[in-house]
Amino acid sequence: MFQTFLIGLREGLEAALIVSILIGYLAKIGRTREVRAMWLGIAAAILIALAFGALLTFGPSTLTFEAQEFIGGSLSIIAVGFVTLMIFWMARTSKNLSGELRAATDKALDGPLFGLVALGAISVGREGLETALFLWAATRASASDSTSALGLTAAAVAGILIAVLLAWLISKGLLRLNLSVFFRWTGAFLIIVAAGVLAYGFHDLQEAGVIPGLHSLAFDMSQAIPPTSWYGVLLKGVFNFSPATTWVEFTAWWSYVIIVGTLFVRNLRASTDQSSQKVSVRR
Amino acid sequence: MFTSSTSRSALAVVVLGGVLLLTACEPNQQPDEAITVSSTDDKCEVSAQEAPAGTLKFDVTNEGTKVTEFYLLGEDGLRIIGEVENIAPGLNRSLTVTAPEGSYFTACKPGMIGDGIRNDFTVTKSEGGTEAVAEDSKLAEQATTQYASYVKDQTEQLQSGTKKFAQAYSHGDDDKARRLYAEVRMHWERIEPVAESFGDLDPKLDLREADLEEGQEWTGWHLLEKDLWPPKDDYDALNDADRQKYSDLLVSDTKILYDRTRDMSFTPDQLSNGAKELLDEVATGKVTGEEEAWSHTDLWDFQANVDGARIAYEDLQPLLATRDKELDSTLENRFDDLQKLLDQHRDGDGFVLYTELSKDEIKELADSVNALSEPLSTLTDKVVG
Repeated sequence: MFQTFLIGLREGLEAALIVSILIGYLAKIGRTREVRAMWLGIAAAILIALAFGALLTFGPSTLTFEAQEFIGGSLSIIAVGFVTLMIFWMARTSKNLSGELRAATDKALDGPLFGLVALGAISVGREGLETALFLWAATRASASDSTSALGLTAAAVAGILIAVLLAWLISKGLLRLNLSVFFRWTGAFLIIVAAGVLAYGFHDLQEAGVIPGLHSLAFDMSQAIPPTSWYGVLLKGVFNFSPATTWVEFTAWWSYVIIVGTLFVRNLRASTDQSSQKVSVRR
Repeated sequence: MFTSSTSRSALAVVVLGGVLLLTACEPNQQPDEAITVSSTDDKCEVSAQEAPAGTLKFDVTNEGTKVTEFYLLGEDGLRIIGEVENIAPGLNRSLTVTAPEGSYFTACKPGMIGDGIRNDFTVTKSEGGTEAVAEDSKLAEQATTQYASYVKDQTEQLQSGTKKFAQAYSHGDDDKARRLYAEVRMHWERIEPVAESFGDLDPKLDLREADLEEGQEWTGWHLLEKDLWPPKDDYDALNDADRQKYSDLLVSDTKILYDRTRDMSFTPDQLSNGAKELLDEVATGKVTGEEEAWSHTDLWDFQANVDGARIAYEDLQPLLATRDKELDSTLENRFDDLQKLLDQHRDGDGFVLYTELSKDEIKELADSVNALSEPLSTLTDKVVG
């Protein structure tokens, strides 16, 4: 039962973290219209995933394994693209907002609506199909001595709910920070998370056989960090950390962190310079 | 930032996903056909060690205490054919994969660590889904075996007939030789593509005077044909010694052909191409009256060529019927039409002489040959592969 809870927690965290940070950010800059749009995307993704899960479980056809992995992997990589765009969009708005130019930036902000719906949908849909298949399997499972179908489903759902709660708490806690600090921390955090999503996306494509090298491991810490332990689950859920990491994943992770991280730091410096200039002007 | 280019890329994702879903489906079998797998913390029990090729369904139940995974791995133990992750204790999940014949491994991975608990798994030849392929090769084999025995039978009859003909001719019994000539040659004409495949024998046995090259010695059937149906002027009949020499040569060369065809084997495309070649022979040699320039017994050869093509087609027919019913019935009808036309020119046991045919009758025959030749040329495409 606890194992089922952990699965729900892990899958839930993977989806909820990115979304909650972005929603927290939108709330902070007072853009409720975009928040609603994002929820819309998330709701759509949940419904579609559940429908597909039911169809694939009970319907006449099921997806091939390669297709499942290919869809999951591709969505992960696309999600990373959107998150990266969001990180730099946040950089730009937070910069402008710190300059007390809220009215002007509102105009500059026109149009992110669709992107946010898509990001919400992709982030949730990415893990949604796998989770939906799992949930339908749980509802179908016949009750055995120690477990019941209802109990298993409840445990998994509880895991997901805890994940959502954790994500919400993280964004709440971050909300107390001022905007530039919020941006600095969440931006850096999102880069690490997105790098994990990217690496795992490549892993899925390796499993689908689209990219080779599934068995050339950079390192294997499975014994030290068992994937079924609570800390293994948290590391996987938050950072998509895989105890057994292939060279392709390893390379993807570091490439992303180095390239996007460098751009991010340069962006930070630029905005700091800008604000110090303004201070000197006022003086 | 999120402008039209991002909505375009999002649209592309949706379209891509849709296409994938359409092309990446496989049947969701009923559980009663499934292979059951019981995964515990230290065991991986699979209810079957082999299954016929096609769609396989594994029903995996986690009866251990750790989250488990189930894999079907390729022969190298590395390539993942299919997997189910996240099977919580007490949970049952299924894996549906399509697997061709071969060796595989099943693996349960309790705790999701390491290489898992592996078992050998064999996918055997299918009795269901891919049956057609297995049966096709059987039909093809049957066709080629039948054709090989047909070739053997014809060369046997050719050899014994040739001996009789050669004896009558060398002993000066010209009437008997003339009677035998067209009849015996039919056995040759029925398997002409096979005989022609022996580049050294074909010219020795079947060269026409018109095709004689400078310095080449003329031997074989048509030399004797000319001597049996000599032109009115300007012809020196062969003397007894020459008669003996050339008829002996005909017999010994036929014996070589006979020996070589004893253990010949064929492929379906050799049959279908052979049938086409025979029809071409008819069109270029028989329907024009060039083949039997002196005896004018072209219709015997015509019939024999058509016989040969028909036998090859009939041997292939069971195979063709599984692939293209329409072509099969077209060919059958055209063969019938041509045969009916030929039957109109029968005379006793044989046929009328080519010289007795009217221009219209020749045209009619030629048209019928072309009508058959055209669909016959697509036969190879259908029976190969």
